[in-house]
Amino acid sequence: MEKSTDTSLYLRVSKQDKAALEQLYDRYEKILFSFLYKMLEDRGLAEEALQEVFIKIWRGKGVYDESKGKFTSWLFRMAQNTAIDLIRKRKKPSVPIEEAAQMVSNDKPVDQQMEWSEKQEQIQTAVQHLSAEQQKMINLFYFKGHTHEAIAEMCDIPLGTVKSRIRLALKKLKTSLHGMQERGAYDD
Amino acid sequence: MMTNMDCDRLVDYLNGTLSADEIQQFEQHLKTCTECQEMIEVTGELPYLADPVEPPADMKVRILSNVFEEIPEQNNPPAALKPTMSPIPLHKKKSKANIWKPLIAAVLLVSLLGNGYAFQQLSDQDDALETAIKSFELQPNETFSGTATAALIEEEGLLNLVVQADQLAELDASQVYQVWLIKDGQPIPAGAFSPNPNGEGASYYQLEENTEEWDTIAITLEPETGNETPEGEIVLSSEI
Repeated sequence: MEKSTDTSLYLRVSKQDKAALEQLYDRYEKILFSFLYKMLEDRGLAEEALQEVFIKIWRGKGVYDESKGKFTSWLFRMAQNTAIDLIRKRKKPSVPIEEAAQMVSNDKPVDQQMEWSEKQEQIQTAVQHLSAEQQKMINLFYFKGHTHEAIAEMCDIPLGTVKSRIRLALKKLKTSLHGMQERGAYDD
Repeated sequence: MMTNMDCDRLVDYLNGTLSADEIQQFEQHLKTCTECQEMIEVTGELPYLADPVEPPADMKVRILSNVFEEIPEQNNPPAALKPTMSPIPLHKKKSKANIWKPLIAAVLLVSLLGNGYAFQQLSDQDDALETAIKSFELQPNETFSGTATAALIEEEGLLNLVVQADQLAELDASQVYQVWLIKDGQPIPAGAFSPNPNGEGASYYQLEENTEEWDTIAITLEPETGNETPEGEIVLSSEI
């Protein structure tokens, strides 16, 4: 039987199909939990955030629109926003600046699905093309949930510079990833 | 049509700092701006940087049973996400200064309307029976200019949390400074105040829990009174 697409599962979920939600849960539990753990550094909070994400999906609070991009981008953004809310509410002490650039772990993960492993390798390569400064910006902004104002203060640079550095870093990531994907397509 | 101004909002959009109206405007822009679309898609790859973490074996059952128990129409946060401790009832203290009267009337009205908490302003402390146990200087966040101190005071065998703040900016009518006691990221409301014309404010809250239970005290700027979980930014905080 053909594997249901994320979108078809999502459409069934929007009609309150519990089995479809369970399938989506099984599909994304591990990546979402790992991602939320990376952001929150606390298993209990990661579970709390994950539960909130699925409650939002089940209640139709966040609505996915296929024309706005991939389902995973939407799902991960919802997870990220949920984690950011938790981070900002608890006002966890800021990550030390010198650790902020460590986005990429040196340990080679052993237990992970093939798809994850491939994607991780691609995004890690793309991240390594960024300057240390850009990596720091992306880490503080994306994974640590700091506002631009906080980053500007922590790094002692103007607010506008923070935003433009993040934007440039994202642009560079996009170019690197697209480049890799195109080369991959030629290799096939 | 793409404009630089709209593209400039991408980073704020991703960082969750846009208002609902601004999000709507930006998403309208997103429909036609390929570059912003592509950059958002890239952020959808970033979570794969996380190293795999094995979820707890029983997490799926817990989460799905909580999800399916939820009533879709309900707007409150899910039971499992609410603070694990029950809200502490506030015992009101006699007012000592007339200047607070209109405010007290307003906040008590809010309280009577059903939020379950009452707010109290404390203008001075001259009660001989009070003994300060511990006091803290709260640290302002990066953009906040006010200052505050909190003190745990024993009074006739009961513990009270007194917060006094000054150099506060004037608030909009519906806004309030809300004090929270936090344990492991779980906040409970512990008093609220609004600044007087001199930029000073204070709250008084009677504790029924052991103070060892709390690790942090924080003050947020809430958009409205009576919030049971914080919605606004933390402006001042301190470890306990």
